[in-house]
Amino acid sequence: PADTRDAAQARVRSPPAPVTDVARLCVCDLLVAQCDINCCCDPDCSAEDFSLFTTCSVPVVIGDSQLCSQKAAVYSLDVEANPPERIFKLIDQVNPSIFCIHATNYKQALYLKSPEIPTPENFDQLLDKFGGATFSAEPDSWNLDTDAQNPPEANETSRYEYGVPVQTEDAFLRLPSPVVSSWCSDANPAGFLVNQATKCIRSVSVEKCDSIQALSMLFYINSSILAVPKSSQMVNITVQSIVVQSLNGMRTLLSSSDVLRLPTVSDELCINAVLGVNYHITHTDTGEIIEAAAAFVLGAISREALSIEQSFKISFTQENTQPVPLSGNPGYVVGLPVRAGFQPQGYPFPAAFSFNFPQLCVTSGIIQSSNKHSQLTILHSTSTQDCLAAQGARAPVLFGYNMVSGCKLRITAAMKCQPLAQTLLDVLKGQSFPEYVASFGNSQAQDVLDWVPITQLHISEQMFSHTLQSSCQIPVSLGIEVKWTKYGSLVNPQARIVNVTATITTTTLKQLPSGRERIIPITSSVVFTDISSPAEPSYKAWPTINIKLPFDFFYPFV
Amino acid sequence: SSQLSSLPLQILLYVNGIYYIFYFLATLAMIIYKSQVFSYPDDFLAPDLAVLFLMAILEVPRLYLGFKGNLTEAEAPLGLSLGLTVGSVLLCVYLLLWQTYVLWADVLLNAVLLSAYGLESGLKVSAIAAFVS
Repeated sequence: PADTRDAAQARVRSPPAPVTDVARLCVCDLLVAQCDINCCCDPDCSAEDFSLFTTCSVPVVIGDSQLCSQKAAVYSLDVEANPPERIFKLIDQVNPSIFCIHATNYKQALYLKSPEIPTPENFDQLLDKFGGATFSAEPDSWNLDTDAQNPPEANETSRYEYGVPVQTEDAFLRLPSPVVSSWCSDANPAGFLVNQATKCIRSVSVEKCDSIQALSMLFYINSSILAVPKSSQMVNITVQSIVVQSLNGMRTLLSSSDVLRLPTVSDELCINAVLGVNYHITHTDTGEIIEAAAAFVLGAISREALSIEQSFKISFTQENTQPVPLSGNPGYVVGLPVRAGFQPQGYPFPAAFSFNFPQLCVTSGIIQSSNKHSQLTILHSTSTQDCLAAQGARAPVLFGYNMVSGCKLRITAAMKCQPLAQTLLDVLKGQSFPEYVASFGNSQAQDVLDWVPITQLHISEQMFSHTLQSSCQIPVSLGIEVKWTKYGSLVNPQARIVNVTATITTTTLKQLPSGRERIIPITSSVVFTDISSPAEPSYKAWPTINIKLPFDFFYPFV
Repeated sequence: SSQLSSLPLQILLYVNGIYYIFYFLATLAMIIYKSQVFSYPDDFLAPDLAVLFLMAILEVPRLYLGFKGNLTEAEAPLGLSLGLTVGSVLLCVYLLLWQTYVLWADVLLNAVLLSAYGLESGLKVSAIAAFVS
C-alpha cells in the first residue's frame, strides 16, 4: 500500500505533457469516442461521417503565427467528389515579415505554462502567491493582507470619520450597552456621528456601592476625549446638568451642576448612583471634536435592589447648527421618514420690509412637527380593521417604501352622509395633513423654494349609473404618489422628491333600506415612482487660452 | 612600395565603424519592440541587454587600436585589436543563437557583422605578418 500510494502521488504530481504536434491537435473534438459534427480533425470520425459534413468548423490548426516557418494542418472538405471527403494537408506556413521569430530560447514564450500541481510541500507557498485578491510576482514585498485590520489601529487620518470609535487618553469613550444578555458591558466604544441610546442592567449591592466604579460620575467624565485621533489635543467632558431621581421616580433638576456628587451609603440607601448618562458631543464639519458635555441622572438604590437599569445616550451635533433630524444629506435615504410641513398663511410681507424691520424678517418658512415620524403619515391598519374605532393610529411615510393600508367601514342605514364623509376624510388624511414636502432630506425650513407643494386631486367614482341618486360622496381611498428623481452626479446620485400628489377617490353612498348594513373597504396607499431621466455624461469645457497683450505693447505707435 | 599598411583593412575598419552604429541602434530598437510585443521577463531581458552594451563598449577600443596599428604599421595594437575581435565574435554569436527571441532581422544583422569580423580578422593577420617580416 505504501508504494502504490507513492506511485499514485507521483502520477498526480506530474501533469500530462502538453501536445504541440499540430497534426494531433483538435479543438473541436469535444465528445469522447464520438464523432463531433463538422469537426474535420476529429479522429473518431470515419469516412462516412465526413461525407455528411457541410463545412469544416476548424479549417486550420496552427501554432503561433509569429514564427517564421511552422507546420500547419489544413482541413477541408472536397464537395465535388461523390461522396464528399475530407482532405488533410500538412503544410509549412511561412511568415514573410522580417520581424518573424526565427528561434526562441525561452520555452514559455510560445506555449502556456503548465500550472504547478499543489502538493503538501508547496501548498503554503502557492496559497501565498495565488490566494489573495490579486496575484503578485513577489508575494513578500507587496502587502497582500486582505484581512481587515482593526479600525482604530489602521486609522491614520487626522480627523474622525463616521463610525470610528471616539478616542480618549487611555482608551475609547465607553457607552455601556447590553451585549448578548441584558447585563452592561463597558467595552462598547461610542462611534463618531453614531447616535446611540442603550439600556442595560448592572448588578449592584448597597454596601459596596461607593466602590463600584460604574455607579460614580467620575467614571464617565474623568478621561478627556482626543479632539482628533492620535493627537495630543484634549477636550474635557463637562457636566451639563444633574437630575436627581428619588426612589418613587420623581426627578429634580439641580441648580448647580459643578459639584461632583459621588455615591455614598446613607442609612440603607446608596445615593448619587448614576442611573443615566446623556453625552452631547459638538464637532466641526472637518471631523474634529470641540466640546463634550454629559448630563447625568443620579438616583438612590435601596437595600433590596440587586440590580439597576442604567440608560446611556450619545448624540453628535455640528457646531453652529441646530440639531434637526434629517432624512438624508442631501438626498433622501431609503427608510427615513419623509419630511413635510405647512406654510403659515397670512404673512405675505414683501422683502423690503424685512430689511427695515429685522425683527419681522422671519416671514416665511415651513412649520414642521417636531416628531419626525408624524410629519407625513398614512392610516395604520389595526387588528380590528374598523375604521371608526381606530382613529388616530398613523404610520409614518418612509421614503422609498410603498405602503398600503386600510380598514373596513360598516355602514348602517342610520348613518348620515356628511358627518360620515368628514370622519372618513379625517381617518384617511389624519389630523394635520401637510401642505408641503421637503424635496431634499436636508431641506431647511427657511428655504421655502426647496419644498414641494402637495397637489390634491379628487376623483369621483360612480358606483352605478344612477347619477342623480344622491349628491353625497364619501371618500373611500387616498393614494399618495411621490415622484422622485435621481439628482446630482452619476457616481453618487441623490434622491430628490419632485412631485407629490394626493388623490382622494370618492364614491356615492347609496341609501340603504333600514336594518341592512354594508361593509366597504377604505384604503390608503403610498407609491414612490422613480422618474429619473437617463444620465447624461457631461465633460469639462476645454480650457481656453487667455492671452492679453500689455496695454502699452505698441508703445510708440499708440 | 614601402607602404605596409593595408588599404582594404582600413576601408573595412571604417565601414565596420559606421555599420556598427546602425547595428547597435537597430538591435536596441528590436529588443524594445520584443519586450512590448512578446512576453519578455526581466531575468531574460537583462542578459541580452548586457551583452549588447558590452559589445558596444568593446567595439570602440577595438576599432581605435585597429586604425592605430594599421596606420603606424605597429603589430602590437593590431594584435590587441585581434584579441578584442575574438571577444566581439563570441558576443555576436550569442546574439545570433542564444538570445531570448531571434528574429529574422536579427539573423541578418548578426550574419553581416560576423562576416565583417571574419574578413577583418583575416586582413589583420596578413597585415601583422607583413609588419613583422
